[in-house]
Amino acid sequence: MTWELFAVFLGSSLRLALPLLLAGTGELVSERAGVLNMSIEGMMLTGAFAAAVGAWATGSPLLGLLICIVAVFPVALLQAVLSNTLRANQIVTGIGINILVLGATTLAYREIFGARSREQIPGLPKWSPPLLGDIPIFGEAVFQQVWLLYAGLALIAVTALVLRYTSVGIVVHAAGAEPRAVDKSGVSVSWVRYLGVIFAGFMSALAGAFLSIGDIHTFTEGMTRGAGYLAIAAVIFGKWTVGGTVLACLLFGAATALQFQLPTLGIDVPNALLIMLPYLLALLAVGGLAGRQTAPRALGEPYLRR
Amino acid sequence: MIGAALNMTTSLRGALRPSVTISVAAVVAAALVGLALIFAMNVPVVDAVAAFVDGTIGTPYAIAASINRSIAFALVGIGFVIANRANLVNVGGEGQIAVGGIAATAVALYGHVAGLPAGLSFLIPLVAAAIAGMLWASIAGVLKIKAGTNEVISTLLLSFIAVWLVYWCVQSPELLRKPMTSSATLPESLEIPDSTQLPLLTGDYSFPVHIGLPVTIVIAIVAAIVLSKTAFGLQLRAVGFNPIAASRAGISYSRMVLISLAAAGALGGLAGGFMLLGEQYVLKDGFSSGYGFDGLVAGLLARGSIVGVIAAALLFGFLRSGGINMEMVAGVPTALVMVIQGLIVVTLAGASFFIGRRT
Repeated sequence: MTWELFAVFLGSSLRLALPLLLAGTGELVSERAGVLNMSIEGMMLTGAFAAAVGAWATGSPLLGLLICIVAVFPVALLQAVLSNTLRANQIVTGIGINILVLGATTLAYREIFGARSREQIPGLPKWSPPLLGDIPIFGEAVFQQVWLLYAGLALIAVTALVLRYTSVGIVVHAAGAEPRAVDKSGVSVSWVRYLGVIFAGFMSALAGAFLSIGDIHTFTEGMTRGAGYLAIAAVIFGKWTVGGTVLACLLFGAATALQFQLPTLGIDVPNALLIMLPYLLALLAVGGLAGRQTAPRALGEPYLRR
Repeated sequence: MIGAALNMTTSLRGALRPSVTISVAAVVAAALVGLALIFAMNVPVVDAVAAFVDGTIGTPYAIAASINRSIAFALVGIGFVIANRANLVNVGGEGQIAVGGIAATAVALYGHVAGLPAGLSFLIPLVAAAIAGMLWASIAGVLKIKAGTNEVISTLLLSFIAVWLVYWCVQSPELLRKPMTSSATLPESLEIPDSTQLPLLTGDYSFPVHIGLPVTIVIAIVAAIVLSKTAFGLQLRAVGFNPIAASRAGISYSRMVLISLAAAGALGGLAGGFMLLGEQYVLKDGFSSGYGFDGLVAGLLARGSIVGVIAAALLFGFLRSGGINMEMVAGVPTALVMVIQGLIVVTLAGASFFIGRRT
C-alpha cells in the first residue's frame, strides 16, 4: 500500500466514523443517565432527511443543519416522554420509533422528491485546518473535511470534559447508577434523563446531517442502514467511557472504509464480507472481546419515585 | 391449586383486560392517521381504500398471499413470545428468516433430496431451515450466557450479518448463485425443483395457501399449551421474573435462555423455509423482505398471548398485501404501512403505563 492510498484510507475512515462518533457520544450520555435509547437510528434518519430537505428547500446547507436539529427534537422528546414519564419499555419504544421514522421519511421523500430524485442537494463546505492541511500527502487526503467533522470532534471533546470534570457529569453518572441518591439530593432524575435523551437526539441529528449533506449530498431511503445500532454497540464495546466509545467508532469506521479500499488494492475479498465487517466486528465486540460488561446499574429501568 | 386458580384469573383477565381494548383502539387510531396521510397526499381516499381492500380480500389469490405472509409473521411472533417469557427480547427474526432461506435453498438444490419419497423432498429442507435459524439465534444465546451480552444488540447485529450473507450467497457462483451463462445472469439462485416446493392446500394456484398454514396452527397450539400448562412454561416465566430466585429453585438460567432463544430462532428459520419453499422458490437478495420485523411487531403487540400473535400476524399480513396493491394501483407508497405499524407500537408502549397500573 502506498502512502497516498493509506492517507485516503485514513481520511475516509475518519469521515465514515464521524456519524458513529456523534451518535455514539450522544447515546453514551443517554445511557449514562440511565436511558437505553434504541431510537438513535431513527433520530439519525430523521436528521439526515430533514437536513437534506432543509438544504434543498432553502438552498443553504447551514439552514438545513438548523432545520435538522429542530426536526429531530420532537422525536427525542417522544422517546424521553415514553421512557421517563410513561415508563414504557425502552427497547420497545426505540424499535417503534425506528419503524415509524423509516416509514415516515420514505413516504415524505417519495412525496417531496418523487420525480426529481437526482436533484443535487447543496452540501456543507469543506475546511482544512491550517498547518495540518499543509502536510504533504496526508494534508489534503486526511484533513480536508467538511467543517461539521471538526465541530463534531470538538463537541465530543467538550462532552468528555464535562462528563469527567464537572458536577453535571457526576449527576448524569449518578442518574444511571444510583437514581435514588440523585433524587434524595434534590435533583430530579426525570429531568436529568430527559436532558440525556435530548442530548442524544441533538448529536444524532448532527450525525444524520453529516450523512446526507456532509458526506454524499443526497438522501436515500433508510440511508442510516443500522449505523445507530453500530453506535450502540460502540458504547458497549467502549465500556460506557467516552474514550472507549470513540475508539470503537473509529474501528467501525475503518472497517467500513476497507470496503472501498481493498478493491483498489486488487485484494480479492468478497464484497459482502466487507460490507458485513463492521457488524461482525461489532458483534465480536459486544460478545466478549470487551470483557465483562459494566453497564450503568439502572440502565433501561424507568425511575419510580416513592 | 392456588397456582392454578391464579393462572385462571390471569388468563381470564388476559382476555378481558383493558389491554385488548387499548390494542384495538391503537390499531384503529393508527389506521385513521394512515387515512389522513392518504388524504394529505392528495390521493382520493376512496380509490386508495378500494385498492387496499382489493389487495387484501379482492381475489382468492390475494387472500392466499395475505395468509402466507401472516404465516411467516406468526411464526416469528410466536418465537418472540416464547423468548419473551424468559424476559428476552429477540429482535433477530429477520436474520433467522434469512439463514433459514439460505439453508432451505442449499438443501433443496444441492442436498439430493428432490427424488425422496413421502414428502421428504420438502420436509428435509424445511428442517434444515429450522436448524439454521436455531443455530443462528443460539449464537445470541451463548453470548448472553457467557459474556452477558444484551440479546437485543446481538440479535440485531446478527440480522444485519445474515441479510448480507444472503447477498453473498447469491452473488457468488461458488455458493448459491445460478451458473453464469452470460453477464446478464441475475444474481439469484436456481429455482428449486418442483418436488421440493411445498404442496398447496387446495392444489390450486389461484388460491396458493401452502401447508405452512396447518403446521403453523399446530405450532401455535403447542406453544400456547407449553407456555401456560407445563412445568417448562412455568420455569421460563420464573426465570423471566427473577433469575436469582429461579436458580435457587433449581432452574438453570443458562439453560432457559439457550432453549428459549433456540426455539425462537428455529421458528424464525422455519418461517424463512416456508417463504422460500412455499412462495418464492428462488433465493434473491433482500428475500427476507422485512418480515422478521413485522413478526417482531406482531409479537410485541400480542403482550405475551399466542392468540394475540395470530391476530396481529393476520392483521399485518393483510395490511401488507393491501399496502402493496395500494402502491401499484393508487400510487400510495407502502411505507405508509410502516408508519401505521410504528404508530401502533409507540402508542401501545406508551399505553402500558395505564394498563400496568391496574395489576
